Amino acid sequence: MTALVALERVGFTYPGAARAALSDVSLELAAGEVLVVTGETGAGASTLLLVATGFAPRVVGGRLTGGRHIAARRCGVVFARPWTQLTGLCSTVQDEIAFGPASYGLPRQAVLDAAARAMRELRVEHLAGREPSQLSGGELQRVVVAAALALDPEVLALDDPAAELDPEAADALYDVLPAIAASGKAVVVATPDLERAARVATRAVKVEGGRIATSGAPAAVLEGTEPSLLARAAGCPPPWPLDVPALVGRVRR
Amino acid sequence: MIGYVPGTSPLHRAHPYTTLALAGAVLLGAFALTRPLEVWLLVAAAAAFAAAGGVLRSSARTALLLSLPIWALLFVLHGLLGADPRTTVGPLSLSLPGMARALVLGGRITAIVLGFLTALATTSPHRLVEAMTARGVPFGRTFLLASTLTVLPRMRERAAQILEAQQCRGLRLGGSVLARLRALGPLALPLVLGALAEVDEQVLALDARGAASAARRTALDPPPDSRAQRLVRVALLVLVVAAYGWKFWKMRG
Repeated sequence: MTALVALERVGFTYPGAARAALSDVSLELAAGEVLVVTGETGAGASTLLLVATGFAPRVVGGRLTGGRHIAARRCGVVFARPWTQLTGLCSTVQDEIAFGPASYGLPRQAVLDAAARAMRELRVEHLAGREPSQLSGGELQRVVVAAALALDPEVLALDDPAAELDPEAADALYDVLPAIAASGKAVVVATPDLERAARVATRAVKVEGGRIATSGAPAAVLEGTEPSLLARAAGCPPPWPLDVPALVGRVRR
Repeated sequence: MIGYVPGTSPLHRAHPYTTLALAGAVLLGAFALTRPLEVWLLVAAAAAFAAAGGVLRSSARTALLLSLPIWALLFVLHGLLGADPRTTVGPLSLSLPGMARALVLGGRITAIVLGFLTALATTSPHRLVEAMTARGVPFGRTFLLASTLTVLPRMRERAAQILEAQQCRGLRLGGSVLARLRALGPLALPLVLGALAEVDEQVLALDARGAASAARRTALDPPPDSRAQRLVRVALLVLVVAAYGWKFWKMRG
């Protein structure tokens, strides 16, 4: 399978930073997979997303070293705070989602069709006429993902997409990721939300200090976390808890 | 109230260029007119403009609030400290040419502020974007203008949220002037830092959605223009040119 993104011993340093945010990172991303990137805050997971999708250094500046090949024609990106990703210029959800295709000058009907398809995919058709600023956080984040998908990106990167969402909205958001990947896209998610990540990941990468510490099957990477090891040491039966709240819940039970 | 107020008035329905042309004509006309009566007739015209948009009360109140400190300053500088001849009103000795000057300058500022508040209140940023897109204006310029129109309402909304949060944490807004000034710190700092922190994400999100694309954007729902509105815009231009012609003719005479 041809990789949509290939990183070969890549390093990246933000403008003005003395220390590299990423070092010696090698990674391939292929269509149809959901890659989960995890690590502690500041480990470099978000930076890895920006580098893999080409936004760093093109938009954020900085210095890239090593080899990077992005075969994907287009990459979409979604951040944690949905309200920062609105254009602020659209009065309806439909217009917000259509913004991307309209930017590329597609014919009007093609723009509307692309927006309709993305709304269907994210199940937000019922919000089409609503004003984006009036939506709940969960609804808004789904609209933002739909807006990214309207451009039909081959790679969709999500940086902690459920950080601002309630548990139901977070579940609903993660639930659509496998379907997006199944439509032939590569989905890469940077998140500390290991429970949900484990449900959708086809592969996982753990980043520590800007380097890839472990990479492979989700069970092997995500269940090697401290809460999981603690639970195993305490004799808890599998499935192992992946994060601290889950561990606390398991111990209470 | 500063910002767009949804409505169905003739100004709301007008092409955004017509509304902006009216505000622009008030601005340019204010500097072409030199006598108190002329300038205050312009203020009356700006008030009629606001009334036609159904926003007279809110726009006039804000315009007065914004203009009052300037009127006070003009009164002191020109009315009290201006040149002879003078007249006595109660305990005050007022400069007659100074008062005329203050009336002209105060009237200009009031007319300009009222005109622009009315344009802001009746021009939907979305319709403006669509109108500019339909005319082929590059997105960078469109975004600059439209985001300028929307920045104040957005900042006000954010400030209200920060104030609520800070009040929950014990911030007191009442009391002496000094206490109120002290309360500005916990409001201003998160307001500015929060806005700066979100700029990076918004730039990335806009870039990912093709805002920097060289293609000509597709206008999805351009506001209708009409021959009558185009004539109004041309008439406003002729009026402004005539007003400047009148001004320079008087100066030469």
